[in-house]
Amino acid sequence: MRFKLRSLFSLMLMAVAAYAVFKARHWSFKASLFPFATGIPLFILAGTLFALEFFGGDESTSGPAVEIELSTDVDPTVARRRIVGILAWIAGFIVLVFLVGFPIAVPVFIFFYLLLQSRVGWLLSVSLTTTAWLCFYGLFQWLLHLPFEDGFIQSLLGL
Amino acid sequence: MFDALIEGLLLVLQWKAFSLMMLGMGLGFVVGLLPGIGGAATLALMLPFIFKMSPAEGFAFLLGMHSVAATTGDITSILFGVPGEAISAATVVDGYPMAKKGEAGRALGAALMSSLIGALIGALVLALAVPVVRPLVLSFGSPELFMLAMVGIACITSLSGLGVRGQIRGFAMGLFGLLLSTIGQERQSGTLRFDMGLMYLWDGLDLVPVLVGIFAIPEIIDLAVRGTAIAGDRQPENLQAGVIEGIKDTFRHFWLVVRCSAVGVFIGILPGAGGGVAQWVAYAHAVQSAKDTKDRARFGKGDIRGVLGPGAANNSKEGGELIPTVAFGVPGGGAMAILLGGFLIMGLTPGPDMLTKHLPITFSMVWTLVIANIITVLLCLAVLNHLAKVTYVRGGLIIPFVLFLVFVGSYTANGQIADLIVTFIFGLLGYLMVLFGWPRPPFVLGFVLGKVVETYLFISVNRYGFSWLSHPVVLVLIFLMGLVIAYPFVQERRSQKRDLADAL
Repeated sequence: MRFKLRSLFSLMLMAVAAYAVFKARHWSFKASLFPFATGIPLFILAGTLFALEFFGGDESTSGPAVEIELSTDVDPTVARRRIVGILAWIAGFIVLVFLVGFPIAVPVFIFFYLLLQSRVGWLLSVSLTTTAWLCFYGLFQWLLHLPFEDGFIQSLLGL
Repeated sequence: MFDALIEGLLLVLQWKAFSLMMLGMGLGFVVGLLPGIGGAATLALMLPFIFKMSPAEGFAFLLGMHSVAATTGDITSILFGVPGEAISAATVVDGYPMAKKGEAGRALGAALMSSLIGALIGALVLALAVPVVRPLVLSFGSPELFMLAMVGIACITSLSGLGVRGQIRGFAMGLFGLLLSTIGQERQSGTLRFDMGLMYLWDGLDLVPVLVGIFAIPEIIDLAVRGTAIAGDRQPENLQAGVIEGIKDTFRHFWLVVRCSAVGVFIGILPGAGGGVAQWVAYAHAVQSAKDTKDRARFGKGDIRGVLGPGAANNSKEGGELIPTVAFGVPGGGAMAILLGGFLIMGLTPGPDMLTKHLPITFSMVWTLVIANIITVLLCLAVLNHLAKVTYVRGGLIIPFVLFLVFVGSYTANGQIADLIVTFIFGLLGYLMVLFGWPRPPFVLGFVLGKVVETYLFISVNRYGFSWLSHPVVLVLIFLMGLVIAYPFVQERRSQKRDLADAL
């Protein structure tokens, strides 16, 4: 018996399936048919896999999933730090869009990412940011007329 | 009929129609490159502009744009690992690893050439198949369409690794995708399902943020982890040679391209399935055509066949989707439903008239598909060198731009901040899937098919009880599904026997 980190994913699927079936039990036949038809087998399959992983040892006959391969040639500590870093940047970008809207968030994010994370010089950062903003404005606003909401701050200040 | 064929060609070659087609192609080129902004959405945006156009001009404009978006979507998938179009996601699986190996030129050459061949086959089938296809489409009811979707998901599970556990993971992911597709208001009873009290979820999860997140974010995280260019620290490849090699690959695996084109046409014909399904089934077919387990293991690591299959199917399905749209007024997919609006705007009624009175217009659509794809591929080949150089630019310079495109693309789904959060959540989920060896393709296919499959299942059960399981076509499809599931095991057994024989 050995618990592997990847088994957590099976457990997560079991939990999702159990929640779906539990929630669907009081719905009408039409609304509950599909959650039952997918949730129950999902619970069984995920449970079976969890049991196989927990009690069955390593996979004897295996082949990798047809999927991209993540880099393995970077020191794990550095890799972890970089993962946290990029996730923080992404989360920061979303928060920035929420606060000031896309038209301001895009140039601000690109400029600071280039300057602080990519360690690019001021001149290149400014010129790349300008290019990105022109692309954003020209393509999405001028050509495609995509509507972008104001940010929370603009709404708050009535701008 | 021959006269109508020529008349259709002349309609497209008129200067006004041709200019509008080129304009549409230009728009389609840009839209195809941008992640998230789909060809269907652009068709809808451009629909008001066709009011004053003749039918030939209107279709040249709309179809020119739509067919090009499918082709150029592959470019973003290969260069950045971000699907340019929802229908280009399967190209990421092998196209992006090729770019990482410094073979972007080869992958792009193969994607473009297979797209062209696929489009030509789709157009040919469109021209020939209307009388043949009618009984086939009409013979498929809800039970058959439900089972067909199940066969599609079973095909995709073959991508999830060999062995029992691999198959279980694949099916579980397919079911997970189907389950998540039930989020939102159930259309007939109005029941709110798994909405968590959020109004955003009433309409369900939109495909674009889910798809873009699940494919793009893991690639971006990995690029940040590596800290190099997409192509690593390799010296730039000889791009011209790479592109030519990719074109040659298309002809080396010509029958695979033809078969995947046929898959695309067939799935395109079936209402509701569309390109999101065709690409994955074609990809699964490419994987299943591997000689043995060792050959199969090359997929996902940059196998050219994984680029050729989806590339061909994506474009051939355009012709397939047009068949039920033109002949019966039944749109083959979302984009075709919008195009149907175009028919009505231009005063045409899809149906028998399109095959008799307006046959030249129907053929002008065929010619538009052919001409637009040929021009696009030639133009792309001319600029590929410059496009592929992007893979040698330092990751730190690429990441903010890709992130900006990813999130703007996701935002276009509903115009809400929640779209960005959904993209982020599914990005994390996608990363965990890749990290723990859970395949993403079955999940995506399940999610894409979910709403349609649910409707088919309900109609089948409601109308036939469980007797629909004994319908002849359903039985054939169940048998086919069994074969699809068993095939990797047979392949594995054969491979073990061969290894044993080699060892002796």
